[in-house]
Amino acid sequence: MHSFTKNFLRGIIRSNPTFILLLGLCPTLAVSTSLDNAVGMSVAFTCVLLASNIIISLIRNHVPVRVRIPVFIVIIATLVTIVDLMLQGFIPALSKSLGMYIPLIVVNCIILGRAEAFASKNSTTNSIADALGIGIGFAWAMILISLIRQLLGTGKLDLFGRHLFTVPGLGDNPVAIFLLPMGAFFVIGVLLALFRWMGVSTGE
Amino acid sequence: MGTRTNGFFPVIFLTLIVFISVAALTLTDAITKDKIELAKEDEIARMLITLFPQMDGFTYDEQNDLYIPLAEQQPLGRAFIAEQSGYSGVISILVGLEPDTTLRGIRIIFQQETPGLGAKIVESFFLQQFPGLAVDDIKLTKKGGKVDAITGATTSSSAVVEGVRKAILDKLNQLGRET
Repeated sequence: MHSFTKNFLRGIIRSNPTFILLLGLCPTLAVSTSLDNAVGMSVAFTCVLLASNIIISLIRNHVPVRVRIPVFIVIIATLVTIVDLMLQGFIPALSKSLGMYIPLIVVNCIILGRAEAFASKNSTTNSIADALGIGIGFAWAMILISLIRQLLGTGKLDLFGRHLFTVPGLGDNPVAIFLLPMGAFFVIGVLLALFRWMGVSTGE
Repeated sequence: MGTRTNGFFPVIFLTLIVFISVAALTLTDAITKDKIELAKEDEIARMLITLFPQMDGFTYDEQNDLYIPLAEQQPLGRAFIAEQSGYSGVISILVGLEPDTTLRGIRIIFQQETPGLGAKIVESFFLQQFPGLAVDDIKLTKKGGKVDAITGATTSSSAVVEGVRKAILDKLNQLGRET
């Protein structure tokens, strides 16, 4: 149980995929324009990561080393397509707003990275812990970034169609640049600097 | 990691994985196919009803790719989907026509324009300019039409306007040829 907790906690801060490992920044930059997207993407991402870590750790002793990467990619691509079809069928509104970014999870290097670096070398229990930890790490990073971008970029906070509040003075004149890709770079850059300054350092 | 790394084993293993994956996908597709179709139809029905509020159903004319909103079995007009490349990606637009050729209104079905700028094409202040326009007036104001572009999003505005006008002309042409 000790190693389960350790593997779980590691992904949340110490090897946070976004702020420490700096992996998967492409989907993070692209999707973090609204809180809805961040939540939807994090859930879809965590489902795929969890399933891929479980499957890969189960077959880890049988995968021939030479074809391991193609095997991982086929498994991940299959899982992503399943999630994509499920979303289109059962939650069409979310599928519409995440649009092309769901298929992009296939090339999200966090998932392939965890498959190669962790799930292919560790037991299924530990891989589940790792997937949950990394998933939560990704989720809070996404939510933090999209919260800042949405507040500054639209001047108000909406969650799943419900209006929560308007930022005084920004509601009418939002800083639209924060919704554009460069705004995402600003936000991530400042957050990274902040975390480094606070002394959260790389630690695998 | 597996120890049998030579010979055909890797090939066989990968092939096996691909077969399993194909089977899983076929199964998922079978489960979700109808749901996805239904969701798409729902979406179109929801948008049609905002264009034709009095409608109580609609039929789909497959031959001409037309949606015909009905009220007590009587057609209220025609609607169809127009597609045009915007600033980023294709914008897909539901165009509603009165029984004559004036525009009933438009709704954006799908777009990926810049949030905060081009994405404003879905907002009502832009869309409410369209109802009642004659085909020739569906142009931006600066090109002699009656639609004001969104500030800072001329490309997206222009794509919607041009897409709608071209689609109507094409559709009328197509219908004219057949009757």
